[in-house]
Amino acid sequence: MIGFELSDDQKQIQALARNFVKDNVTPVAAQHDRDETYPATVVEAAHEVGLLNVSVPEAVGGLGLSMLDEAIIGEEFGYGCMGIYTILMASELGIMPLLLAATPEQQQRFLAPLVEGPRLAAFALSEPNNGSDAGGLRTRAVFDGDEIVITGTKTWISNGGVADFSVVFASFDPALKHKGTVAVVVESDRPGLSTNKLHGKLGQRASPTYEMVFDDVRVPISNMLGQQGDGFKIAMRTLDKTRIPVAAGAVGVLRRALDESSKYANEREAFGRPIGQFQAIQFKLANMKIALETARLQTWYAAWLADNDKPHAEAAAIAKAYASDSAFDAAQEAINVFGGYGYMNEYPVEKLMRDVKLNQIYEGTNEIQRVVIARHVLQ
Amino acid sequence: MILLVTTAPGGNLPKSARELVTVARQLAGGGPVAAAVIGPESAASQMAEYVPQVYSLSAAELEPARAEAVTAAVQQVAAQAGATTVLMAANRLGQSVAPRVAVRLNAALLEDVIKVSGTAGAYEAVRYSYLSRVTETVRTVGGDATVITVKPNVFPVADAQPGGSVTSVAPQLDATATRVQVGQRSAATGGRVKLEEAGVVVGGGRGFGSAEAFAQVVEPMADALNAGVASTRAVVDAGWRPYAEQVGQTGKSVAPELYIALGISGAVQHLSGMNRSKVIVAINKDADAPIFRIVDYGVVGDVNQVGPALTEAIKAAKGS
Amino acid sequence: MKLITVLKQVPDAEARIRAGSGGVDLDGVTFVIDGMDEYGVEEAIRLREAGNDVEIVALALGPARYEEAIRTALALGADRAIHVETDTDLDPISQARVLAQVVQHEGADMVLVGGKQADWDSAALGPALAEVLGWPHSDWTTKLELAGANVTVEHDTDDGHESLTMPLPAVITTQQGLNEPRYPTLPNIMKAKRKELAKRSLDEFGAGSGLTQIVDQQIQTRERLGKMVEGDPATAAAELVRLLQNEAKVL
Repeated sequence: MIGFELSDDQKQIQALARNFVKDNVTPVAAQHDRDETYPATVVEAAHEVGLLNVSVPEAVGGLGLSMLDEAIIGEEFGYGCMGIYTILMASELGIMPLLLAATPEQQQRFLAPLVEGPRLAAFALSEPNNGSDAGGLRTRAVFDGDEIVITGTKTWISNGGVADFSVVFASFDPALKHKGTVAVVVESDRPGLSTNKLHGKLGQRASPTYEMVFDDVRVPISNMLGQQGDGFKIAMRTLDKTRIPVAAGAVGVLRRALDESSKYANEREAFGRPIGQFQAIQFKLANMKIALETARLQTWYAAWLADNDKPHAEAAAIAKAYASDSAFDAAQEAINVFGGYGYMNEYPVEKLMRDVKLNQIYEGTNEIQRVVIARHVLQ
Repeated sequence: MILLVTTAPGGNLPKSARELVTVARQLAGGGPVAAAVIGPESAASQMAEYVPQVYSLSAAELEPARAEAVTAAVQQVAAQAGATTVLMAANRLGQSVAPRVAVRLNAALLEDVIKVSGTAGAYEAVRYSYLSRVTETVRTVGGDATVITVKPNVFPVADAQPGGSVTSVAPQLDATATRVQVGQRSAATGGRVKLEEAGVVVGGGRGFGSAEAFAQVVEPMADALNAGVASTRAVVDAGWRPYAEQVGQTGKSVAPELYIALGISGAVQHLSGMNRSKVIVAINKDADAPIFRIVDYGVVGDVNQVGPALTEAIKAAKGS
Repeated sequence: MKLITVLKQVPDAEARIRAGSGGVDLDGVTFVIDGMDEYGVEEAIRLREAGNDVEIVALALGPARYEEAIRTALALGADRAIHVETDTDLDPISQARVLAQVVQHEGADMVLVGGKQADWDSAALGPALAEVLGWPHSDWTTKLELAGANVTVEHDTDDGHESLTMPLPAVITTQQGLNEPRYPTLPNIMKAKRKELAKRSLDEFGAGSGLTQIVDQQIQTRERLGKMVEGDPATAAAELVRLLQNEAKVL
């Protein structure tokens, strides 16, 4: 039947993540956001306690944690800083195609090193002219003997310039559309690969985002995941799962918005009493709470479906769209609760809004999520 | 028979000893009270000004005080005195010895009490729990005797009732009682008002940023107020201040008329040592610091600026 | 060498404690392993890491919810655990008598326990346990070193600190300053699932019903004014002094 309790070790994982974020993430989040600097010490510390790359399978030395475990961790990190969480989340995103389509040899080759140090993976799908239309990839893959040659440009790639490898999606035959695509692991030290860090993001500024330029980059054919033609399918199946941590991070932001707002509502006075005694404020807090509880439950449900090998694409899309939309709304309402102070970067709430806006856009825009959901409704 | 037990550091009866006399007389309700003084005979003579029967334990093996040796000595005196209730101050030594004595006497233990009443076998006491967040009432429901440790600076000191007599006791201490060897000892010194007895306390925390900044701001303020100086655990651990100043869960407990907390964030562990102060003032640059939840007056600001300004204002008000 | 670390699970220091009808209401409160006990677990692990051949057994006496704290100790590095499960709230002296039986049966060389328990605010468990066992103890220990058949410690006294040397077996009570407890890493949390957690019942130990009983608990309320004083340092200082003199009348 239905059980909503976390197991003892899930509670411990939650406590570990919560304490880790409190001690290592929250104190430095504002500064990395302001300066757009990469939080290397946080990533190292996360590796040391085992919170980095948790989905790497046990067979190659990892923890093999479940989607639900990741969702628990994601909420705690989202609470501290969604930007810093994206670094961890994007690495798991880069790992997922290998979990779905890599051979044991490939998993050993690419994933085993990820647990030996503070190392990251990346997922390179989006292009300057191609975001939602993932089937219309312009990055070219040419099969040349026992090598694949990759040419093109990717953009918006989280971790692109700090990862050990990226999973690159390219087209070898545009006429075949999505059946003409391929997924290839490209190690960062391959000649011809250059990365440019993108500056000027609205939020999640601690997360390093890159344009990646592939200038006839050659990789062995043994770097290809699955078969020729599997690329698009691998990308979609990956995103069906990885939208769950995106939702979880948004749940963390939601919780943070609620906590900051309720604390402020108890302290700030107007008209002779704490503003929390006025219904206008109370309704905002109640709406945040409604969203928090339901978004979390939907996220955990989607995670449970994925962990139990049940169809989860629709549930994950619902979780991602709902959690990120509600978190954005909660964050902007949190600014309203704080009034003038909410508009200033000395107070933590304006960052929540800037950060979680991206959760509505990446890993499949919320418009695409609705396309996915509608497709399931209408079939 | 009610037996109170005290040490006599420096050959003098500490304030806590005279607080124990108050409690002993209360519980005895006119009946017999005795005292065991561990220290020089002169201290036992001082105690004879308060209590009719004093047992003097000046044996060399009891100095410095080691838990097992003191326990054995107390057990013997209790037997000699026919005591079924033993009182000690709830200081470090008391908290170390009293439980051992309780086990030896098969007694119930009432720890760190702020109120106590009743008779042997049926005592009722009030004490704090949950890091001083809760006040609880506890009753003894078993045991052949009762051991009670009394929170310092809560009970009033007793008036003298001279005319007591002193009996020297040479405790039988076997090898087990003296097997712990004491090495280096360090005592904190200071010319200031004793912290637990100060009417005003100025406390400082990590908010100062450095030992120098702490001293530069806290000490002049404490001088201006003739106050004791308190420190948080973090500050003592950082080596800025001596352990004797530490207030909190693992340090001293104080309840002055006025406690000024400078650069202290207000972790529960520290609060539990000073939240009974009559008036609490805090200065901290973090408006969200937990300390502001328990203040009577608070200022959000830099302690290195507001602190000296406050000292000047205090001096001006006092006309000095 | 066998080390036993005794631990309790207590309400989180930041948790809001509520009282209801004469007793403390712990519904919905977050529980954690008692911070003081964590120093004991950490010290045991450090003794192992220093090269000593050490078996670390975590020992707890309390209700079913203590399991989480016990699992934390296992995740931190204890090898196995013993949980004497009971809902009875025994006083520290009675608890010491129960725990001593387990310690004796295990043939331990050292017991580590927090210097003060954060629910009873009691410092009695360590010394009482030592007395029942007939062992020496060091309380409020800030430094520990093995020296052959002895252990040398530094601990807090009423005036400062002193160093003690005592023969093993001994009881050591722990506090902040002894060490810096580590996080239980995720791999260790997962490994802990497979470590032995033996359950015992309180009935096995002839504990009786205890020597003291809590008959009432009230939240310590203290109405504070909570007045924030504004302005630049000089202005705020002047206003503060004015309030302390005229309103609070403590200056």
